[in-house]
Amino acid sequence: MTRARLDNRQWVAKLSAGIVPGCALALAVMAVVGALCHTTGSPMTLSAQFLMWLAGLVWVVVLSVCFLFRSGARAWAVLGAGSVALWLLFVILKIVAS
Amino acid sequence: MKIRSDIVAVYREVHSWAGILAGLFLFVAFYAGAVSMFEQPLQNWLTPPTGLPAPVPLDRTPELMEKTFAAFPEARAHYTVVLAPDRMRPGRLMWPKGPGGHGHGPAVIMAAALAPDGTAVTVTQAPSEAVHFIDELHQKIGLPLPHEVAMPIMGVVALVYAVALVSGVIAFLPALTRTLFAVRLEGGRSRAWLDLHNLFGFFSLPFHVVMAVTSVVFAFHEQIFAVQGHLFHQDRVAHVRIAAMPQAAPLAPRAVVDALARQAPGFVPDTLEYAMRPMGPGGGKLTLRVAGHDVRFGLRGSVSGFATLDPYTGRVISADYLPGRQSTGFAIVTAFFALHFGSYGGAPVRWGYLVLGFGGAFLFYTGNRLWIMARRRSERRRGMATDSRGTWILSRLTLGCTTGCMIGVAVVLVVAAMSSGPVPYAVVSASYYGVFVASVAASFCLAPRMGAPVLLLVAAASNLVLALVAMGRGARGLDISFGIAVTALLVAAGLMVPGWRSLTQMAAGTGER
Repeated sequence: MTRARLDNRQWVAKLSAGIVPGCALALAVMAVVGALCHTTGSPMTLSAQFLMWLAGLVWVVVLSVCFLFRSGARAWAVLGAGSVALWLLFVILKIVAS
Repeated sequence: MKIRSDIVAVYREVHSWAGILAGLFLFVAFYAGAVSMFEQPLQNWLTPPTGLPAPVPLDRTPELMEKTFAAFPEARAHYTVVLAPDRMRPGRLMWPKGPGGHGHGPAVIMAAALAPDGTAVTVTQAPSEAVHFIDELHQKIGLPLPHEVAMPIMGVVALVYAVALVSGVIAFLPALTRTLFAVRLEGGRSRAWLDLHNLFGFFSLPFHVVMAVTSVVFAFHEQIFAVQGHLFHQDRVAHVRIAAMPQAAPLAPRAVVDALARQAPGFVPDTLEYAMRPMGPGGGKLTLRVAGHDVRFGLRGSVSGFATLDPYTGRVISADYLPGRQSTGFAIVTAFFALHFGSYGGAPVRWGYLVLGFGGAFLFYTGNRLWIMARRRSERRRGMATDSRGTWILSRLTLGCTTGCMIGVAVVLVVAAMSSGPVPYAVVSASYYGVFVASVAASFCLAPRMGAPVLLLVAAASNLVLALVAMGRGARGLDISFGIAVTALLVAAGLMVPGWRSLTQMAAGTGER
């Protein structure tokens, strides 16, 4: 099967997916990792600082690869579903922990 | 390295748009950032002497403190003992005048010394704002906006910059092996620019990756920490480290320095900053923060690492930011900061960052030139005799913003170096933006072929003037004047070459528009 050639025709949708659900995804990664390592969220602590860098880095990566999605709708679907799933996981982790 | 050709094409397009959006902001950020590598020595250089008596020996500091505090009781709440006084910090003891003094930027300070007869003498010193302005210009990517507004915009530009880096690498990788060392100066102008752009971009890539990621974090850390504050249990903070109960009096500065030398050998303390916590829970206690440096390690700040000490025993309470004494985790986080600030390895690294900063600015300039040339080519192919509006605006902006930034920075330094007293912020800001706006206006108003030679030669001339002023000050025995003069001369020479070339081209009627 030959794959369709990639182009930038839907760049607005792809880029906005990188920005909006992409940001949500980056923060969700931070939230899940933070919940797993029991961070307090105080900026003085090492874990909080690492998580802050993690969120920034993930967002940069997502913004860089969002142009690789086959379509804008797919970008929104994948990144949106990913962030919803991770946020759900975070909620579950919080419930389990409390 | 094999990448699908359609992916390369996608990223080539992303790269050119990301680059063109961020390029001019990044030019200002890198040019001003390169200069701000030497913020502290320049600040010292531009600060006029105060006429305060020579600082007392460290051992006599308690006497100085006692006499000064008797006259200025409010200084007890927040004061700094300077271990190596210089022009910027002229007294052994100093404190911020009025409220504040804990924020960003230099504050108006009071400095104290002892006269030969043993009486306390104080002086008020307003800082010269020129160098701090250049640092702010760097942080705010040249935007004359308040910090809170400029930071998110800077963050967006940093994100675009990061995307431009990734896409540039992907677009460039397939051709990497073929063209890396081939700067084809012969085969047409645009090819030479492209080869230079690739060469500069590739060899400073690690530097640029660090800058992009750290800048994103610098811009958005407050927001991200705010999110963390909502997500996690902030009330479980067990990090309030309280100093031992106050005994009679805090240790004398000499004893603090000795205690620190035992606990962190090799760390050179610069200042001991004492502050009384405001009343309230845990309040009313004296805290001591030591700032210093250690060339063997990266520093968290742009010039300093920090330690929190118990002022009564000299024991290190927090070594989280103390170079060489940090936990591995904090050392890793510090490495990112140090890589951004160039605050590791001492002077050679700072000079290297100066070169990389100027080189980065040049990289963005070449990027813009390539974009303009590519658009012109396609417009000519489509039969347009003159530039489209977009191409014209961008080519004028590229010329005006880059030369405007360079002339503005030189003018700010000249104004500060020529004035007898400290230059207020408004004057510095007005001279920079006045020059910048004038340059942009000139690039739009001058005849197309005249803009480049005029502005480039003015930029060269402004740096020449800076070199002369620096040499003039050097004659009065200020040691870094020579370095400033040589750097300004090199920048002037670097601008003179293309300026002269475009002048001769203008005369011959063949010039680039």
